[in-house]
Amino acid sequence: MALLSVENLTVELQTSRGMAAAVRGVSFALERGGTLGIVGESGCGKSITALALLGLLPDGARARGRVDLDGTDLLTLDEDALCHIRGNRIAMIFQEPMTSLNPVHRIGRQIAEPLRLHRGMRGAAAREEVLRLLDRVGLPDPARRIDAYPHQLSGGQRQRVMIAMALSCAPDILLADEPTTALDVTIQGQILDLISELVEDNGMGLILISHDLGVIGETVDNVAVMYGGAIVEEGAADSLFANLAHPYSQGLFAAVPRPGLSRGNRLNTIPGTVPELTDLPPACTFADRCAKATDICWAQVPVMNRIDPDHRTACHHLGGSVE
Amino acid sequence: MAQIETTAPAPATAPGGPSGFMHRALRHRAFMIGLVLTGTMILFALVSLVWTPHSPTEIVISQRLKSPSLSHWFGTDQFGRDILSMIMAGAQTSIVVGLIAVCLGAVAGVSLGLWAAARRGWTEDVIMRLSDLNMAFPVILIAILLTAGWGPGITNAILALGIFNISVFARQVRGAAIAMWEREFVLAARAAGKGDLSITFGHVLPNIISVIVVQATISFAIAILAEAALSYLGVGSQPPDPSWGRMLSESQSYIFLAPIIAVWPGLAIVLSVLGLNLIGDGLRDLVDPRLARQR
Repeated sequence: MALLSVENLTVELQTSRGMAAAVRGVSFALERGGTLGIVGESGCGKSITALALLGLLPDGARARGRVDLDGTDLLTLDEDALCHIRGNRIAMIFQEPMTSLNPVHRIGRQIAEPLRLHRGMRGAAAREEVLRLLDRVGLPDPARRIDAYPHQLSGGQRQRVMIAMALSCAPDILLADEPTTALDVTIQGQILDLISELVEDNGMGLILISHDLGVIGETVDNVAVMYGGAIVEEGAADSLFANLAHPYSQGLFAAVPRPGLSRGNRLNTIPGTVPELTDLPPACTFADRCAKATDICWAQVPVMNRIDPDHRTACHHLGGSVE
Repeated sequence: MAQIETTAPAPATAPGGPSGFMHRALRHRAFMIGLVLTGTMILFALVSLVWTPHSPTEIVISQRLKSPSLSHWFGTDQFGRDILSMIMAGAQTSIVVGLIAVCLGAVAGVSLGLWAAARRGWTEDVIMRLSDLNMAFPVILIAILLTAGWGPGITNAILALGIFNISVFARQVRGAAIAMWEREFVLAARAAGKGDLSITFGHVLPNIISVIVVQATISFAIAILAEAALSYLGVGSQPPDPSWGRMLSESQSYIFLAPIIAVWPGLAIVLSVLGLNLIGDGLRDLVDPRLARQR
């Protein structure tokens, strides 16, 4: 049985125009030690999916479906039970290391927090463990940095601190929501390498969320492409990137700027903009921006079709064996 | 300023920490003036506990309405009491009233504000509407209501001010706390498994403490003014306890005969309120890193 299995997860958010589905029937599974990348544009529901796993949705949001962690449905747990899961069995790294640390506390204290909360560690023992963690995530001179305030560290160093914090209780699953977006390119590589290395060493499952195809391609085994709150294509990273099937995935990939492209050539873009959650097309959510769209795309929700042994996509125009 | 803002890599002291703060405070002229004025008031009160030039309550009819002289620096009032001694002892009243009224309001108001921000929903609605209701009654009215129930006295004045301050603090703290709850580090703390209570005291409160301190100094100033006003109306401190407000109200009848006796308590009120307001403004500047950087 998979460590984490998400079945038909639907999340509705409260907007000024009523409830809107930000995540529509998302399903995926993560094995112990497995790595999954979720890729998509801003507003496609990838961060909301991550927050839903931890029960951290904004006020007024409703989640339906199942999120099974070792057989327990997280969606049915109360706040107290979720507090035992968060930071302990599932930990999260956020996009903005600049704002994810509390400016008034020293970093040592912040990293020790999950240890105190979930392991009951205090005082010298906790400090020793924090030093070990800081050393593990490659923060230079941990003995001195442990008493630093967040503003005294650089962005990359702060993200290392966030990773140390997420790592502190040896979680089963690490959720990384755009962990490198706010960092310099050179630092991005280091942080991704660090995450991959830690995932491998500790046997954690990793869910890496990003809009950056390069980041996803380098780091994970399995990829899910999300658009309009639904997964439109998923599969093993190798076979998916070798043969992008869904028109949205192709558009997303074509829009990545490549060095060497001569000046004056315009970047490829996907026509139109991501629609408001309340205005999404009724059936295939990509129908209004898709060049291949026909009547059926507006009438019937596409189901996942297997097009390769380990590669599936949801598009009416891509046949294959229907499951 | 530049060398403070570009912090040294050594993590020993933060710019928000003691040494950086002291350094900036010493250069903040208005804050220092406020500190001196308030310090003088506190000094007056402290000295008056052990020594005053004359007894502040001793009536010497032969010495009534004297102009300032070597034996009576500020002169004497209509009963021949030494005005300097009364001002010094009056500072005690002002500080006690201000301190208790602010503490009362701050403890209750901060708790309610934090609670409202953490819970949101109907808890917040109930707390804030009750607070609005409380704010609809001016301090003077609350004091008069309490006086009607339990008779005039300094305790009722303190209580009235304290009750009014609850709403002031609750509103301020709720607003600031809600802004903190939206911050990413609170989300990160929740993702680490912290509950609402420990986030409130571990993450929200430490980040809004400056708002509370600034509000406290300003409320302190308002309390001194309000105590004077209440005493002036006769619902505050009662004779013979010295009070700046009552000195002012009693001097009214002699304003043409000896205008100087109205000047002293008036000056004491103005300078102490000014001092506290300058401290409040100064603190606002000093604890706000964005403003500090512009300076």
